[in-house]
Amino acid sequence: MQEVNVKGPRDKFFKEIENVRHPNETLVKTHCSYCGMQCGMNLRVNTKTNKIIGVEPRYDWPVTVGKMCPKGVTAYQQTNHPDRILKPLIRDDASLKGTQQGFREASWDEAYDLIAKKFIELQEQYGKDTLSVFSGVSMTNEKCYLTGKFARVALGTRYIDYNGRFCMSSAAGGFLRSFGVDRGSTLPWTDIHETDCLFIAGSNTAECHPTSMFRVWNVQERGGYIIVADPRETPIARRADVHLDLRPGTDLALANGIVNLLIQNGYVDEVFVSSHTNGFEETKELVKEFTPEYTSQITGVAPEKIIRAAEIYGMAPNAVVMFARGIEQQHKGVDNVSGYTNMALVTGKIGRPKSGVATFTGQGNGQGGREHGQKSDLLPGYRKITNPKHVQEVCQVWGITPEEMPQPGVSAYEMFELMEQKTIRGLYLLCSNPAVSAPNQNFVRKALKGLDFMVCSDFYLSESAEFADVILPSVTWSEDEGTVTNIEGRIIKINKAQEPLGESKPDWQIQAELAEYLGRGKYFSHLKTARDVADEFRLASKGGYADYYGATWDKIEKQDGVFWPCRDENDPGTPHMFLDKKFYHPDGKAKICALPYRPPAEEPDVEYPLRLTTGRVVYHYLSGNQTRRIQFLRDMCPEPYVEVHPETAAKYMIEHEEYVRLYTRRGEAEYKVKITEAIRKDTVFVPYHFGHDKSINLLTIAALDPISRMPEFKACAAQIEKLDRTEVQ
Amino acid sequence: MVKKRLYLELENCIGCRSCLAACTQCGGHEQRNRNYVYDVNPLVNRQTMPLMCLHCVNPACARSCPAQAIQIHETGAVLSALVEKCIGCQNCTIACPYGIPKFDTEQNLMYKCDLCIDRTKDGIPPMCASVCPSNTLQWLTDEEIEAKQKQFNLDNGKWVTSMPYLEGETNVRVNLPGILQGVTKLF
Ligand code: SF4
Ligand code: SF4
Ligand code: SF4
Repeated sequence: MQEVNVKGPRDKFFKEIENVRHPNETLVKTHCSYCGMQCGMNLRVNTKTNKIIGVEPRYDWPVTVGKMCPKGVTAYQQTNHPDRILKPLIRDDASLKGTQQGFREASWDEAYDLIAKKFIELQEQYGKDTLSVFSGVSMTNEKCYLTGKFARVALGTRYIDYNGRFCMSSAAGGFLRSFGVDRGSTLPWTDIHETDCLFIAGSNTAECHPTSMFRVWNVQERGGYIIVADPRETPIARRADVHLDLRPGTDLALANGIVNLLIQNGYVDEVFVSSHTNGFEETKELVKEFTPEYTSQITGVAPEKIIRAAEIYGMAPNAVVMFARGIEQQHKGVDNVSGYTNMALVTGKIGRPKSGVATFTGQGNGQGGREHGQKSDLLPGYRKITNPKHVQEVCQVWGITPEEMPQPGVSAYEMFELMEQKTIRGLYLLCSNPAVSAPNQNFVRKALKGLDFMVCSDFYLSESAEFADVILPSVTWSEDEGTVTNIEGRIIKINKAQEPLGESKPDWQIQAELAEYLGRGKYFSHLKTARDVADEFRLASKGGYADYYGATWDKIEKQDGVFWPCRDENDPGTPHMFLDKKFYHPDGKAKICALPYRPPAEEPDVEYPLRLTTGRVVYHYLSGNQTRRIQFLRDMCPEPYVEVHPETAAKYMIEHEEYVRLYTRRGEAEYKVKITEAIRKDTVFVPYHFGHDKSINLLTIAALDPISRMPEFKACAAQIEKLDRTEVQ
Repeated sequence: MVKKRLYLELENCIGCRSCLAACTQCGGHEQRNRNYVYDVNPLVNRQTMPLMCLHCVNPACARSCPAQAIQIHETGAVLSALVEKCIGCQNCTIACPYGIPKFDTEQNLMYKCDLCIDRTKDGIPPMCASVCPSNTLQWLTDEEIEAKQKQFNLDNGKWVTSMPYLEGETNVRVNLPGILQGVTKLF
């Protein structure tokens, strides 16, 4: 068993620093509401008004030692924001769907009554599966867990899925195939700066996971190497030792090319490969074709760079392969994940400290939220709904019979297709804003508008809430407690700093109360507090491979978090995975995958000659529903833009800051031009945090990965039209 | 209490402007940020750098002030103008070689970085250096800074930007872009 310092790993960045304490204030220890870094922070609470008034760094959090990005620094401004929804809202006039108009305030009782009446009516007429639940993972494990139970037990529908399908599902699929287990990082973040080489693919780390950067730079400061694969020269690529500036959507060729060089040039760990992996020979055969020249033809990266990158990774005593949505949001995202993971498996750079594989988890609880039953085919503890033994185990905790357990449903984007076809007529949406974040928006918005009845739970009136019949006011992260699982697979505790504003309620409470109105109260009425939900949830995960049973709130507090799996009271958790070189496939071996290359679903042509890719900026989080309302962040990035290389701009005769029309086969939008040499000439980039007619997802393609059902946000074909305007119309 | 200084390693900056967001959060700062982050060459690459008050030992801003509104704290921090003394002449904004002091036309008052004096007087790092995700801004002892200087010696005598240029000695220490030139690779 792994040795764990009771207070969690400490490193050279950790300093004992007192916090500033102002009179009439208390500090509530918690974590940021946004990304998977889950930076530690203290919320400053005024003891007279009991309101959150500011933030103070949390120097005592071992992962981020007080550091925060600008989203984290201003996160507290969400709680008492004037845009908060304070009472349930009902819209009687369905013709106003898709606008902000027509909502009236209502009591919780009236709202619950109406929802129960409509849901029951729809199910009586069209069957149980006419209802659907679309959720998210920017919320606690307790809420994620209960949402899965609510769908299956209170609504009895098979159709539940979540926004992780637009975020982490390819990483999950790739890890499951390669390792037999899906924990986003095989090692704790306190190892990152101690490695000798970071190979980072498709991650704009400096903007999307900024508080990783002090560790990333430290690798170079120590004389180690950073290799970055990205179509754009991001802030991290700017300083990388090798920048592999590949065409969007060609990652698998690059991964195969590098694996080929690792094999050809003698960097294979023969002992590791023969004792702990399967699939080497087949893969060796397949990647042979991917010579540096051939790889260069596909990817557009110079052969010398590919050779140098393979050499550095191969020579490094320790190395970590890291990736993010850039490689995962493709219709071969799962293959990309397994492809890059092959690098670690053929060289044996895994299953020991300072070496391994990690994905940068996007949402705060992107890890935990995908493990406990919000995915169409999963049950708590990463159990499969298609496995009768797993179903039996969960039924015991839930008090239902296996016959009552619904079948697996479909993935997030496919639910919109079923709405379009009227298979699904009702929707309960929470913790997500698909009217901005889903691909092919024209289709998705039409599907939402055509629903017979839609409920949306949110604390702000999001673009998606504009399609709802009923809006339920939920709380921000600071008004509830529970656990989330961070980028490392470390379960941590979110604490409550303020009572819910207005009449808002946490989603677990909403679900428990609504179950009562639906006549399913007996399965939920014992859940009176977040801790009640936590206790049931730990039990439901027990015995699954994402086992949280031993991760009690007390242990989390004592150890600065608990890495899963954590099976019982005496288990300190598992910071490093696979130290015993045992992987989670039945034979204990990892799988080196032979993966034939496929190009992006839509390649450029004469009509659409440019490659469009999308991503984030440091100032905004996901659909922007939260961050676009925060003054500082809005000032820094008020609107989207299209990044264009100067040579490409010259071809279209467009200039910096002029507005152009960008269009694809699916949609169009107008954007301000941002000229920069830090992007490929054949590629344009637009950040995706904006809604309505500014949403780049009006243009993106819904080509789905066959395994993860992840849409190909990162590559499609586009064209620019000059408008001769410098103002928005 | 061991004396610590603000130390800047410009090459690390990722342009997140968390330092500016955090600046607004310091108790005495009235939600206004007091420093700058520049895009070095915006049409070319994504290089950025913070431009912070360097807390000059003999500050031009204070020397230029006809009303003695800019006080120097015993820690060496050059404070924001005293509300009761500042006459709004804006001499300081012109005198400072780095263009640091900002001016509030409504209040007719200069305001500038005071190195989070509420925090640093007790040895607590200023907000900017507390949050900076890339370690561009750090809060270090003189020994730690000396070790840095040795580590990244460029052999050109220009390690501290503001010496001997512009305003002479500063309390804040700056490491210019190029810190990695002195690093020996591990393999
Ligand atoms: S958004 Fe992410 S990196 Fe920024 S403060 Fe929050 S958790 Fe940290
Ligand atoms: S917080 Fe640090 S990295 Fe971010 S802009 Fe400021 S100096 Fe640069
Ligand atoms: S940098 Fe400018 S504002 Fe700061 S102390 Fe020196 S002269 Fe004054």
